[in-house]
Amino acid sequence: MNGVNEGKDRLSRRSFMGQTAAVAAFTVVPRYVLGGARNVAPSEKLNIAGIGIGGRGEGDLDECRSENIVALCDVDERHAARVFKKYPDARKWVDFRKMLDEQKDIDAVIIATPDHLHAVAAMAAMKRGKHVYCEKPLTHCIWEARQLTLAAREAKVATQLGNQGQASDDNRLVSEIIWDGAIGPVREVHAWCNRPISTRGVGRPPETPEVPKTLNWDLWLGPAKYRPYHPVYLPFRWRSWWDFGTGVLGDIGCHQLDPVFRALKLGYPLSVEACSSNMDEGPGVKEETAPKSSIVRFEFPQREDMPPLALTWYDGGLMPQRPPELEEGRRFGEADDNLFIGDKGKMLGHRLIPEARMKEYGRPPQRIERSPGHHKEWIDACKGGKPARANFEWAGPLTEVVLLGNVALKMEKQLYEKGLKLRYDGPNMQVTNLPEANKYIRDEYREGWSL
Amino acid sequence: MDRRRFLGGAAGVAAFSVVPRHVLAGSGQTPPSEKLNIAGIGVGGQGAGDIANVAGENIVALCDVDRRQAAETFKRHPNARQYADFRVMLEEEAKNIDAVVVATPDHTHAVASMMAVKMGKHVYCEKPLTYSMHEARELTKAAREARVATQMGNQGHSGDGIRLICEWIWDGAIGAVREVHAWTTHAVWPQGMERPKETPPVPDTLDWDLWLGPAPYRPYHPAYAPALWRGWWDFGTGGLGDMGCHNLDPVFWALKLGAPTSVEASCSIFVPTITWDKPFNTESYPQASIVRYEFPEREGMPPVELTWYDGGLMPRRPPELEAGRPLGDKLGGVVFVGDKGRLTCGSYGNSPRLIPESRMRDYKRPAPSLPRSVGHHKEWVEACKGGKPAGSNFDYAGPLTEMILLGNIAVRMSLKTQEKGLRLAYDGPSMRITNLPEANEFLHRQYREGWKL
Repeated sequence: MNGVNEGKDRLSRRSFMGQTAAVAAFTVVPRYVLGGARNVAPSEKLNIAGIGIGGRGEGDLDECRSENIVALCDVDERHAARVFKKYPDARKWVDFRKMLDEQKDIDAVIIATPDHLHAVAAMAAMKRGKHVYCEKPLTHCIWEARQLTLAAREAKVATQLGNQGQASDDNRLVSEIIWDGAIGPVREVHAWCNRPISTRGVGRPPETPEVPKTLNWDLWLGPAKYRPYHPVYLPFRWRSWWDFGTGVLGDIGCHQLDPVFRALKLGYPLSVEACSSNMDEGPGVKEETAPKSSIVRFEFPQREDMPPLALTWYDGGLMPQRPPELEEGRRFGEADDNLFIGDKGKMLGHRLIPEARMKEYGRPPQRIERSPGHHKEWIDACKGGKPARANFEWAGPLTEVVLLGNVALKMEKQLYEKGLKLRYDGPNMQVTNLPEANKYIRDEYREGWSL
Repeated sequence: MDRRRFLGGAAGVAAFSVVPRHVLAGSGQTPPSEKLNIAGIGVGGQGAGDIANVAGENIVALCDVDRRQAAETFKRHPNARQYADFRVMLEEEAKNIDAVVVATPDHTHAVASMMAVKMGKHVYCEKPLTYSMHEARELTKAAREARVATQMGNQGHSGDGIRLICEWIWDGAIGAVREVHAWTTHAVWPQGMERPKETPPVPDTLDWDLWLGPAPYRPYHPAYAPALWRGWWDFGTGGLGDMGCHNLDPVFWALKLGAPTSVEASCSIFVPTITWDKPFNTESYPQASIVRYEFPEREGMPPVELTWYDGGLMPRRPPELEAGRPLGDKLGGVVFVGDKGRLTCGSYGNSPRLIPESRMRDYKRPAPSLPRSVGHHKEWVEACKGGKPAGSNFDYAGPLTEMILLGNIAVRMSLKTQEKGLRLAYDGPSMRITNLPEANEFLHRQYREGWKL
């Protein structure tokens, strides 16, 4: 019943690699042990399957066109039609479980389903020794992220999260500038994102229109609780719906907070507090969709020689205070951006402010190797190269923290009324001062679905 | 009745010139032993409560554009003459009325209050004092000139909480204050929506044209009247205009604030459509907002930054606040951040405490230096009868309202320009936004034909 305790047991057991078989049926066998798995030389081409290929999946496949796209799987024929046509030689599938069971020539999968299917698809692939590229956020709930991280480690497959911004030079500059001491120790970071995603702060639609013939609604729901079909959920619009998506924070957090986590060497936070436009909505709204606008405040402990950090997330149009260093008349950052506040200066995105300060500073010494490209990193890793930079060892914990922000958002009213910040024990995946919050750590799956 | 004869000269109404009350009426005051003759303008909803609070006086006339909303109050005061148009009432009852209580929707406060003030009537007006900053400035000036007794309906101003906050801060309990956070909770009326498209018939009991008053014409819809007008730019002033007058009141008083030097806002920018949000609504206040003000040094107090949150948004929990202790109350609160500690209170300045509680217990409270209130409405009634000015008279309430409404201009400009983190530089004495001229269009608005201040 209590998923958290189970997770805790699993973690402690999992930290000893030998005992991993304890995870019931989901034994993950290292890739090299599996007879069928193929080692692909750098000169050879990978056989790649796409799971969830409309929308974002198309872009991911296109980035991997240098390889063989051998299989395509989607539950929404209409949304996927263009991509099916683009790769006429690929076998077509509706159910990824069937595809993975029946099509044996697959080396690697690209997962770009809605969030609530990431984990089951990625786990199914890794259990068969396939390399996995998975869109962000890595999973829909914290517990899944932990399980994928552990499973990927054990299976020794090449993994990469779809936060392609990490491959940029700008991402690296953030770390290099901060590590160079250009703004001194950083105690405060503000991150904001105005991405609309889709209608939020609303309740479930009452109508129950017929499921389009081109859609397998049951498979689209996957492990999520059953509900009648409605076009308000797909394509893409699922991002706002808590049962399927992870709100703006889940959608963008893994992109935008990546440079913050790297530069400031963040791990699990000590506490999180959240408030939003859903604060006083009834359950008909707040249990259904993410808020229109929210603020999530994380507190991180001291790390190595870095002081404790307060990280504040804003979305839906909310912004931090305009820094006085910003020149009069200059636009305050992009639609999504990060402001780093150090003891000796401030940085907006990857540039010191004011701009005069940046000009004077120049460039930090290069300490981090540049990327050949986000998808290329993964392809190289699949062929025996070094791990991709956003592999699940990195992406799992990052996703856990991002999703913890959503736990705080879902509990905002209780936290307010009880006068609490949500206190968090990261290694044990446990909210320590508000037990009810732990129900949001692990999703309950629908009959017939398991990790 | 004698005193009425002094008011005879008030027939100068038509000219709308402001004549000091003592000139109009000689001594002109109702002695404390006599009863005031009071008229209510907007007597349903909050107006019903205000009338009940002054019912110890003579309620001689009641005016409401919505007979259904007003029914209860009409019934309770069968001898009061009933009106739908306050202009007609003030003219016809000019000789019978000493004072008016204005509790219309925000957009009608100023026109009703100004007409009364210009006739030498005392005015109790619900908060916010006015809909626009220009109206607040003009009404304050007119009331001062007319020397009438005034009070805004921010009744927390008469509480003990706000006095304790002032006394403790002036006592140096938390040192110099450089940062304040204040908030209110989610609005109980909807915000962040588009104008309804349906045009249902106007109920028989409502005079829609009069309800609109000086606001631009639009078809009737129950989304506005009687209860939900606060969320619409054309009629209300949003969460800040409504609860800001209560929750920012202790900040304004204790920190001796006046006009800020700058204001910036960010807010919820989306309006829901059936399946997709459309950004940047132009009809209603956003669902949630943050407004940041900067105030210059005042009377030995350092510059201070004031941040307002509404729509469910909150400041960070102060580290001094013990785990398990809620911040503020159900309608919001304030955190004062001083050089030597923090003070919090709930909405209306209620229940102020130094935090943590051990700090409060160790604190040696100063002797009360501010007189306690006899009650918010009573203060005004006494002022009308020649007593001392009420605590939230328009000289106080006008500038408080201006500050609050300036925040709404920042919200509006952030939506209108789609520019994030836009900081408006403000010059209080001339009431101008100096770095974004187009923002000044929201200092006031053109009235509909037939209406004037």
